[in-house]
Amino acid sequence: MARSVPPTSELALPQGTPTDGTGLVAWGRTVFRGAPLLSLGFLTLAVACALCAPLLAPYDPIQTNRSQTLVPPGFGRHLLGTDHLGRDILSRMIYGARISVTVGFLAVFVSGTIGTCIAVISGVLRGWPETVLMRLTDAFLALPFLMVAVLIVSLLGPSLVNVVLVIGLLRWMTYARTIRSEVLRLTEMDFVRLARAAGARRRRIIVQHIFPNIVNTLLVLGTLEVGSAVITEASLSFLGLGVPRPLPSWGTMLAESQTHVFTAWWLPVFPGIAITLLVMASNLTGDWLRDRLDPTRRQL
Amino acid sequence: MRRYIARRVLQGIITIWLVTLGVFSVLRLTGDPVSYMLPPDASKEDRARLIELYGFNDPLWKQYVRFNMDLWHGRFGPSIRWDSRDALEVFLARLPATLALTGAAMAFSIVLGVVLGALAAMRPESLFDRLATGAAILGQSMPVFWVGLLLILLFTVYLEWLPSAGGLDRLGLKGLILPSFTLGWLFVAAHMRIVRSSMLDVLDADYIKMVRAKGMPRRTVIWKHALKNASIPIFTLFAVNFAQLISGAVVTETIFAWPGVGRLLVDSIFVRDYPVAQTIVFFASSFIIIINIVVDVAYAWIDPRVRIAS
Repeated sequence: MARSVPPTSELALPQGTPTDGTGLVAWGRTVFRGAPLLSLGFLTLAVACALCAPLLAPYDPIQTNRSQTLVPPGFGRHLLGTDHLGRDILSRMIYGARISVTVGFLAVFVSGTIGTCIAVISGVLRGWPETVLMRLTDAFLALPFLMVAVLIVSLLGPSLVNVVLVIGLLRWMTYARTIRSEVLRLTEMDFVRLARAAGARRRRIIVQHIFPNIVNTLLVLGTLEVGSAVITEASLSFLGLGVPRPLPSWGTMLAESQTHVFTAWWLPVFPGIAITLLVMASNLTGDWLRDRLDPTRRQL
Repeated sequence: MRRYIARRVLQGIITIWLVTLGVFSVLRLTGDPVSYMLPPDASKEDRARLIELYGFNDPLWKQYVRFNMDLWHGRFGPSIRWDSRDALEVFLARLPATLALTGAAMAFSIVLGVVLGALAAMRPESLFDRLATGAAILGQSMPVFWVGLLLILLFTVYLEWLPSAGGLDRLGLKGLILPSFTLGWLFVAAHMRIVRSSMLDVLDADYIKMVRAKGMPRRTVIWKHALKNASIPIFTLFAVNFAQLISGAVVTETIFAWPGVGRLLVDSIFVRDYPVAQTIVFFASSFIIIINIVVDVAYAWIDPRVRIAS
């Protein structure tokens, strides 16, 4: 990445300091100093739960038990209680992390790839391809996102792959816009002009000079977007269009809790905490990364 | 100015056309429309009748031309579930409930967001600022439907103050409180953050220093002079957030059994009433595009730099 450093004038003009109150992390810092560390910790925990669910979960998440229905949480056999079919909530939540983490990361991978391709093509080629692609981006931005997602998932049939594809295909616009403006800025810079003057091919310029300079932005955007992908997956599952039952998704657990909300408070509470913490962790980590990776914002 | 408006409107029309093309392709290219519109046990006669009714046997280009002609004339096809009533009619019947919900949610989030943001900006880094900030971070991470469930748990189950299901017709204004809080909560945090930071900017401006220097009390300066200017960014944010507001309405209406468009969409999808679903998506996208054009034009009107720059 040191290959192509922006000119010093860029570095000399800080656009914002970490305490300027714009980034979530700066805000988080005023609330609690350890927020970024805790967020990273929680992300790691969620990934660990997803990877080692069978080892960590005390019970089978889909095993029903008629004699143990709606057991309240406590230090007995079921730490977080059981649901209306006697399934252990803690085990279901640990397995639920699989779906949230998988969909979160894969959807971000899909949308990041599409968005970056569109950004680089329109930023490097310019002209009519740029106009067409940017109009297309506008059209996608105008879509009532969840409505379209619900429509398409219902047509394709609910499954893990379809949920990932739908979220990925409908959420690349942030990448396309942000990275395109990065690419435009970079192509005007001296090191890219010099490379072009030296006869470097377009492909070489993209791979060697542009791409290394957009990786950081991509990483930050990707981390921030994990949160909204997780919320979207949970919303689809909540509406009954996510990963099919009996696989436990946090959104499905919340949907099922609706009928028992009058008798069992623990059913809606715990899965919601898990979703909120995962989303918050990805938001805070993303902002922390932005502050760390942006030389003009780094706190020395 | 006129040229700017004309260009923006033209762009908007192209965007709407792209959206309709997308809806058409999604509905026609993801499989056999007849099979997903009919239950699996439908008879051959039913199939034939449906194909006849919607013209699915025609070549694709012919179907596309007809689709556009129908849109142009405001024909959205007969609903499958609602006794073949026109899909547009079904949609319009549900619209007022959604407008009431989204309007109340927006009003709630703007009032609370502006007040909290201004209070936080009055004493940056104070305990109140920190608490409000913490709430904002939390608020932006909570899924809408969980907020709804928690509110039901607190206000319906434990306190027994407010009803959890129904619409304006059945419950009156009381029924609007929980759904609009649920949907509005999503934007309180965003509004609070933007008012706080623009308030801090405005308080630094010369004209504010001037009023302060003349001896006007800090409180009057903030609530009378700074607040108006610091609130402007909320309207930009409104255009950006409008799509999110509609998505939130789908989920909120489902939790609270609110008889609006969002719930109609989910219900229609589960009974395979695609003419209605398609109408809803078309109008929701058009609303988003129109709102964006209106906000852009308003900005160009207020700030000449915008229309010169583009």
